[in-house]
Amino acid sequence: MEKDGRPNWDSPMQFVLACVSYAVGLGNVWRFPYLCQLHGGGGFLIPYLIMLLLEGLPLFYMELAIGQKMRLGSIGAWTSISPYLGGLGLASVVTSVYLCLYYNVINAWSFWYLFHSFQSVLPWAVCPINSNRTGPTEECEVATPTQYFFYRETLNISSSIEENGGIHTGQALCLVLAWAITYLFIVRGVKSTGKVVYFTATFPYLVLFIYLIRGVTLHGAINGLKYMFTPKMAELANPRAWINAATQIFFSLGLGFGSLIAFASYNQHNNNFQNQAIVVSLINSGTSIFASIVTFAIYGFKATLNYENCLDRMRLLLLNTFDLAEDAISMDSVLEWTEKLNTTYPEQFAQIADKVREGECNLEKELDTAVEGTGLAFIVYSEAIKNMPLPQLWSVLYFFMLLLLGMGSMLGNVTAIITPLRDFKIMSRMSNELFSGLVCVFCLLLGLGFTTTSGNYWFTIFNDYAATFSLLFIVLIEVIAVSYIYGIKRFEKDIEDMLGHRPNWYWKIMWAVTSPLLLIGLFIFYIINYIQGGTPTYQAWNKELVTVTEYPVFGQVFIVLLLVSSVSCVPLTALYAFCRKRKDRAYEKQV
Amino acid sequence: MLEKILLLLSLSLSVAEGLCKPGVGEAYKVRFSIKTALGDQAYPWNKNEMFLFRAALAFAMRDFTNGEEFGVSDIHPCNETQRVSFWFVVTRPKTMDLVDKGTVEMAIKKSRNRINGAFLLTDKTLEFDGIYPTLAAPVSPDTPPWLIVFGVVMGAVSVGIIALLVYPLVQRKLKKNMDADDEDSDEETGVKTAENGANDGIYNSTFSDDERFTQM
Repeated sequence: MEKDGRPNWDSPMQFVLACVSYAVGLGNVWRFPYLCQLHGGGGFLIPYLIMLLLEGLPLFYMELAIGQKMRLGSIGAWTSISPYLGGLGLASVVTSVYLCLYYNVINAWSFWYLFHSFQSVLPWAVCPINSNRTGPTEECEVATPTQYFFYRETLNISSSIEENGGIHTGQALCLVLAWAITYLFIVRGVKSTGKVVYFTATFPYLVLFIYLIRGVTLHGAINGLKYMFTPKMAELANPRAWINAATQIFFSLGLGFGSLIAFASYNQHNNNFQNQAIVVSLINSGTSIFASIVTFAIYGFKATLNYENCLDRMRLLLLNTFDLAEDAISMDSVLEWTEKLNTTYPEQFAQIADKVREGECNLEKELDTAVEGTGLAFIVYSEAIKNMPLPQLWSVLYFFMLLLLGMGSMLGNVTAIITPLRDFKIMSRMSNELFSGLVCVFCLLLGLGFTTTSGNYWFTIFNDYAATFSLLFIVLIEVIAVSYIYGIKRFEKDIEDMLGHRPNWYWKIMWAVTSPLLLIGLFIFYIINYIQGGTPTYQAWNKELVTVTEYPVFGQVFIVLLLVSSVSCVPLTALYAFCRKRKDRAYEKQV
Repeated sequence: MLEKILLLLSLSLSVAEGLCKPGVGEAYKVRFSIKTALGDQAYPWNKNEMFLFRAALAFAMRDFTNGEEFGVSDIHPCNETQRVSFWFVVTRPKTMDLVDKGTVEMAIKKSRNRINGAFLLTDKTLEFDGIYPTLAAPVSPDTPPWLIVFGVVMGAVSVGIIALLVYPLVQRKLKKNMDADDEDSDEETGVKTAENGANDGIYNSTFSDDERFTQM
């Protein structure tokens, strides 16, 4: 313990692992491969790495420096920099609360899938049979079994955000478990968190490595890998690729939530955070690339499987319509036989011409289906897993890895709420355990709303709006505050005080010029996008069809509330501080 | 006499062949996918297999109608193709009346497993066009297995939380007991150490560093 009574990490290694555990999360697994696929495969690495240098590293370094110097959570740290900026910390806390509310729901889903993997036949491998026992249920027949399991049995989703049903008890139980485990990890503050991160930061890499070997040896994986590594350089001319690279780096490192400030505030004063910042950022990007190799191997396997199934269906259709011997058509000769039969028996072929056109088999098309987010993690991956030999083992490993990634990030999210609030003198009267317990119970109760039948639509609102725009705003103000309000010179001196040397010109230019410009650019782009996009829409699952629906009025109002509630903390707190200063000055004048 | 019998026989045969018309009336189409099911172990399709089919179907009809003596000759196949698919009709024993589709369907449904077994095939590889297999009823255990795993994990986590919360309290109690013992022993010796004396001094607040940061 330091002389001001603040708890410390047992070793710098724990701090590094905590940052790695926080930064390496679900986004590395389900967002980066999607962006890679969308923007020309291997070529996307170029804007990604450039953005890492231009904004990722400098902003990460800056947040760690502030936390370690001020030794307070985000609210206290920013208030120390300038009394008018306390709102910045408050905005971070509000955004972290929103994040905690919906992020643990993903962990609940991971638990649900993990527990359901302990069956002889994976429940998402086959459709349940209808009441007549003549075939699969209608809804499952039109969709795939994996989609049915996710939307119907896991979420029990309603057909729009307006329709609501009860709470899904299984989901609620899993959410309670997720929060119980979160509480278990943070109940002793950094003492417990520091020990947990040894596991949550390292085990996912083991699983990823096992999956890499498994994935690369799957039949057809090479198609996916080839697809990923052939860069389509033309995509680099698309400004969207650069914008997506910038936002991905930004969100992937978890900047602006206050978690990094909170973690760093438990450091020793002279901890060498410069090297640690570089190491963690590189590990984070490296993990993204690693995970996308695994994902593309799995994509390739799934696409090849679908393509071969499609060919087989075609083959059967031809055999049955033209009554040819079973071994007349093999998988490879399906296409040439289609041609031959079309020319020799045109009338008979015309009868099935529609079916042939509909079921046309195209490997490129299968590989082109880019999926991200929960769809990738819970639908595409489960579909690939059910086709592997010994699917239960792979399923358990995979969902356990998802859990560790999610739980690791949750540690940072919850610490970002608890640390700044505990710095207030009123809160520190309550015991550590009680306060953490209250925060967890509060988030749990609100999070139960996401387990209702329309819960997934609310989840999407939170996912898309709660922590995107506000974060950009927060970090933009942060970097401007540090560079111009606090001053680069003062900041330099503080760093010299901690590290023993000043940051070199690269860091200073990034903080003062490049990062603010980039962030302003992203900010403007988001606003333009929002305005141009018209009414925000979402994808509703309506009896197996995914239809794009507009949000109702209360949904749009809620989105605006989400954005305003976190962003407005900054000006409101500045106003409050200004009023208080005026009152104090008036009081002093009187005295 | 012999000629008359021969004439009758050939007549009945030709009538029977006329009975079986693909796609019309009470005919059903059946499709075998032997190579798909058995791969290398596939048996070739020949007249003997056809005989087995007719016998199996006659058994199914007998079983369903509870004893009506259907024979192999009451099953009339036609239009055999290389796919190994053909149409067939069923006639009542001793007459040429066609058995209606509904009865044939129900008979086949009842004995589907037996027919499949005779050919080492499954519902998917021995298809009757228009007769859908009755799928096996799903096995639903009393407690869903996921609940069991959930219970185990939840129990472990609860024990962990309770342990972490109770452990420091227990430690504090033990320490208090030890301190109480120490104090008793100190009082007995009656030594007033320097530490105790220093506590009586005045606390000078000039050098305290409390207000280093702005108050919130």
